[in-house]
Amino acid sequence: MGQNSHSPVLMAVWDLSVTVEDLGADAPPITVSVTSDLHIGGVILKLVEKSQVKRDWSDHALWWEQKQQWLLRTAWTLEKCGIQADAVLIFMAQHKSLRLGLPNGLTLRLRACFSGPVFRTVLGICKMLNIRRPEELSLLRPVEEKKRKKDKDLSEELHDLTEVPLTSVSRPCLYNGMPAHFADSLQTEKVYKMLSVSQPAPAPEAIAKLYRPASVVDKAHIHSRWLDSSRSLMQQGVQENDRLWLRFKYYCFHDLEPKYDVVRLTQMYEQARWAILLEDIDCTEEEMLLFGAIQYHINKLSLSEPQTMTSSPAMDDLDSALQGLEVKLDGAESSPQDMLENLTAPELNDYLKIFRPKRLTLKGYKQYWFKFKDASISYYKSKEESLGEPIQQINLKGCEAAPDVNVAGQKFCIKLLIPAPEGMNEVYLRCENEEQYSRWMAACRLASKGKSLADRLFQSEVQSILSFLAMQQTNPNTHTDDSMSINTHSLVSPRYSKKYKVKQLTPRILEAYQNVAQLSLTDALLRFLQIWQALPDFGISFVVVRFKGSRKDEVLGIAPNRLIRIDLGVGDVVKTWRYNNMRQWNVNWDIRQVAIEFDGNVNMAFSCVTADCKIVHEFIGGYIFMSTRSREQSDTLNEELFHKLTGGHEAL
Amino acid sequence: MDDIDAMFSDLLGEMDLLTQSLGVETLPPEPPSSSSKEMNFSMGFADMNVESLNELEENDLDALMADLMADLNDTEEKLAAELGGQKEAEAPHPDLPPASHGLSFYPESSLSTPTSPERGPNTFSAPLADSPAPIFSPPTLPQHAKLSTEEIEAQMKADKIKLALEKLKEAKVKKLVVKVVMHDGSSKTLMVDERQTVRDVLDNLFEKTHCDCNVDWSLSETNPELQLERGFEDHENLVDPLSAWTRDSENKVLFQERPDKYEVFKNPQNFYLWKKDKKTIKDMKDRDKELLVEENFCGTSIIVPDLEGVLYLREDGKKSWKQRLFLLRASGIYYVPKGKSKTSRDLVCFVQFDNVNVYYGKEFKNKYKAPTDFCFVLKHPQIQKESQYIKYLCCDDAWTMNLWVTGIRIAKYGKSLYENYKTSMKKAAITTAWTNRTAGTTSIPSTPSPTTKAKASGQANGHAPQPPAEPVAKVGNAPPPPPPLLPTQILPPPPPDPVLPPLPPPLATKKSPPATSVPRQLPSLPTSFPPSPTSMANLPPPPPSLSQDDSSESPPDFLPPPPPTLGFGPGAGSLPPPPPVSFLPPPPDPGFPLPPPPPDPAFCPVTNRDSLPAPPPRQSNIGAGAPPPPPPPPSASAGLQSIPSVRRTGPPPPKRTTPPLAAPGGGDFMSELAKAMAKKRGNQ
Repeated sequence: MGQNSHSPVLMAVWDLSVTVEDLGADAPPITVSVTSDLHIGGVILKLVEKSQVKRDWSDHALWWEQKQQWLLRTAWTLEKCGIQADAVLIFMAQHKSLRLGLPNGLTLRLRACFSGPVFRTVLGICKMLNIRRPEELSLLRPVEEKKRKKDKDLSEELHDLTEVPLTSVSRPCLYNGMPAHFADSLQTEKVYKMLSVSQPAPAPEAIAKLYRPASVVDKAHIHSRWLDSSRSLMQQGVQENDRLWLRFKYYCFHDLEPKYDVVRLTQMYEQARWAILLEDIDCTEEEMLLFGAIQYHINKLSLSEPQTMTSSPAMDDLDSALQGLEVKLDGAESSPQDMLENLTAPELNDYLKIFRPKRLTLKGYKQYWFKFKDASISYYKSKEESLGEPIQQINLKGCEAAPDVNVAGQKFCIKLLIPAPEGMNEVYLRCENEEQYSRWMAACRLASKGKSLADRLFQSEVQSILSFLAMQQTNPNTHTDDSMSINTHSLVSPRYSKKYKVKQLTPRILEAYQNVAQLSLTDALLRFLQIWQALPDFGISFVVVRFKGSRKDEVLGIAPNRLIRIDLGVGDVVKTWRYNNMRQWNVNWDIRQVAIEFDGNVNMAFSCVTADCKIVHEFIGGYIFMSTRSREQSDTLNEELFHKLTGGHEAL
Repeated sequence: MDDIDAMFSDLLGEMDLLTQSLGVETLPPEPPSSSSKEMNFSMGFADMNVESLNELEENDLDALMADLMADLNDTEEKLAAELGGQKEAEAPHPDLPPASHGLSFYPESSLSTPTSPERGPNTFSAPLADSPAPIFSPPTLPQHAKLSTEEIEAQMKADKIKLALEKLKEAKVKKLVVKVVMHDGSSKTLMVDERQTVRDVLDNLFEKTHCDCNVDWSLSETNPELQLERGFEDHENLVDPLSAWTRDSENKVLFQERPDKYEVFKNPQNFYLWKKDKKTIKDMKDRDKELLVEENFCGTSIIVPDLEGVLYLREDGKKSWKQRLFLLRASGIYYVPKGKSKTSRDLVCFVQFDNVNVYYGKEFKNKYKAPTDFCFVLKHPQIQKESQYIKYLCCDDAWTMNLWVTGIRIAKYGKSLYENYKTSMKKAAITTAWTNRTAGTTSIPSTPSPTTKAKASGQANGHAPQPPAEPVAKVGNAPPPPPPLLPTQILPPPPPDPVLPPLPPPLATKKSPPATSVPRQLPSLPTSFPPSPTSMANLPPPPPSLSQDDSSESPPDFLPPPPPTLGFGPGAGSLPPPPPVSFLPPPPDPGFPLPPPPPDPAFCPVTNRDSLPAPPPRQSNIGAGAPPPPPPPPSASAGLQSIPSVRRTGPPPPKRTTPPLAAPGGGDFMSELAKAMAKKRGNQ
């Protein structure tokens, strides 16, 4: 309309030169004659005609080099866009290939949108990878790798997904337990498996080589790498085939549903696991050992049932439901047997040696005939006397059973701490060999939880004890099975690898393992995440800032529900502010300062040192956005709101 | 209709089978003496219950007897009523699955154990068999008739085997006679079986004591020797910890109100924001409290309050107390070793919670020369005497001690604690609703079962105040017959009318929770219904609705709706958590302060929409009276009410005579009763 009013006759024709990326870097720009009232769509049309290349150009758009922006509104005229003859324009595809580092450490090559805001790009990527709740993830620039590894970089394994068509369906239909677009070829099926099954434990040396943040400031620097989610990849200088990381950025995981979230859950676990292995998040030794035990368990399960896993959560539910139904239905036939079995629980009978450390007496191990039945151990002078009264009966319910094992020294002892009104009684049982030990140990553990030998967990418990013993085997040749040869050092952070020898570490992980050995794969993943989330430092992203009126740098911790001011020197929490007391926050983009007002006239302001204030602004706005989801029923993502909360001036 | 018929005859068939097998079993066994009773109870258990039985005083026995009698009579009566109801083909019964159908015979037990996995069609067998009612005569088996005779035989055989096995299993179930010391120093004696949770026992006690059923009521154990006390958690099995007591133990089980039990859910800020200044904590808004609970208990992981502080630790074996900096984490209590930092990796684990419970220590200043009397202890539940394995800690003040003990409970029990709280709240709400309603229910058309009516009038003698038409009369101008209409009119502010201030009704509802703590029998009950809308609102105060009411109570405070200009109109509905909303609108604007928005009419519908769904459930809540299990609501509620009243008045003599008459062996009445009781309990 505008041009009609003040250019009544004819507009001047001028030449506009456009580089067409697809013609190659050396090809000269194509020049087209245009008038200022020609709209962008018209320019593209002329360009395509003149290039004389017949192909699908629908994904292509104009990029304005000087202004670093896309010309995506095809109805706008050149005049409205402000383009004149000196503009350097490039005609290129909006989707380009990108090397994407996943939380599990593997790299995918896939086609991502370079023209939309990064938020959209992530949405697209997550849709392709079948990750729900994509708003919780974002892209960041990877930590630069050291130069000496350059040659290794070239051989980096890439999983190609560039051929996978982008789906438009909101929730991809499943085929063969995976989204249909992965089921096209064997290769993509393999990629999906890699996405949805946790990776085997890395070698301890590999962990040791990776970058580990040594201080809060190091951790803060990582957060300066996040891309701006309201601008496009091109605008942020990301080039085709560049490497970016895809990570969970906002630590409030909404509506986690193992049935639909196989990939999401797995990648979340991987991110958590690496955060712990690389000491990105601090934990205590006990917690580290428990994390190690769960990792071991997950590794084992992933290896042993890789195929069922992809579709397992749903199937598990169904199976167990069916089983439950069966039990109810044919109670007449099967359940009496079950009940009989439960009533007449199996026993263990063996000659074992017992030792009870008592004050001032140094008696050695003495051999008796042992009988294990119904969560208690009885012992007799000999097998022949086992029909009579036992010398002693020990009830194991509530006891602690710890291994005291040295495979090399052929020592297989069970240390029992048995509670009694007067305190705990210490008892050692010595077994002859692995096999005997594993049975008795398994029995003791079940009994400590009040379960009998009839429990179907007994056999699996025996197996897991045996496999742990195998890990301690000095001679690796005796066991070729991959799943058994996990090095316990690869389950803990390098700090503990250095502190403990495998021999010391393994029994302690085994001890922690007994509490998780019964978990299913999904439950184990969830448990790992739960313990991770229960760590005091969980979900805190650090930024070094300078508070208004303060002369030293301090650390601002951004958590899902609060902001934390942390003293950089001591590491103490100085103050916390909760978002739900926040009245408003403003960013002064000129002086790059964030000002926040809380209830009760509490004001604070800071400028950012390590990260751009847009990143901080986006973090705060993002977390507030995340909290608005909590009671939202619908699955639709309120993108507009996200941009309002995180966009800054771009949003206006 | 067909369904019901089929189920009914199915039921009868099964009963018949059961009686047959029971008949065989009940005749020969134990000689009917009181010793056999003890044997029966102490099956597979330590000797203490024998003693406790011996310790029973005369009146205790009477009470137990009365319980047993009441149970039997109830069952019988209900059964008869139920059958009558069935025969009259009452409409309101929904299509129930056969299994849960059995529940309807035990409305009262279905209340106390809402989710008992073992409850099958057989569960009602024992009591029924012991009180042979006339209904057993027509054993029609229409379903079985379709099968061949062999199949029937096979089926019967299998059923018998199954029953026998269940009985065997039953025999292995531990049962304890527990003497519970009441808050007034008196005591009640209960039979508790090992499958019962503390919650079940509490419900049982609620029925017996007519207390107000508020969430603070709890069972706790005391250990005089160690001077310890611990409140049991509602999800714990009661028998387990009691089994750890020694033979000569002077431990006691107390039934008392413990405000600390669920304090963390009432005032989460005291625990999660303990570092904040006292004023912030005190002035915390209800909405913020809810948010805190939600944040810490409703996520994928339970968040444990991050406690740290210097506590005194009693040195092993020594008499001295040493100061240490302790930290609480989800994985346990840690301390900072000398000369080390507070970073996680330097922490030394002091204790993990898998195998210990946390106890309050009483008067440790005297006993152990503790610096203060605010001590707590961590020990294995089985340790009952002085031992080096007990860990003693001492705090500077009661507040700190409470902080730690609660923190440890959260770390140890996690989500169960919150689940327990929610169950307790439900229970309390139902009870209050009941107290307030009494006979008012009868006017609700959705409870027309004759069973209920018969019950209500039959049992009402137990309740002194009987205001049957009272609420209706007070409501006045409203037409009495359809009360359900009323709440919908009054409770939520009418959605379409923005002019109507949403304040009054929610306010009224908000006041009602305190009513929870009002003693159960209110002689002045009628007077507590003064203004018509309030009274209606008063009736159903289940806790869940509280939040919504609160939020609508003071919109200006924290529901500043987004300015309409932002185009939030429809989107506002999807932004429920108000606090974010309060600063949502214009944050990115540089220097654009939040316009304190007037209570936006556009927002009213949202609030209303939120609170609208609440009323119908409330209504149905009352109607049902009972939680999850699906038996016909009317009879269930009748059961709830009737049992206490029967107990209070004592069983009327004529009823007493029924079981002895029925006793097959004509043997000892006591032992028969005990058996019946044991079976019944066992079945729960």
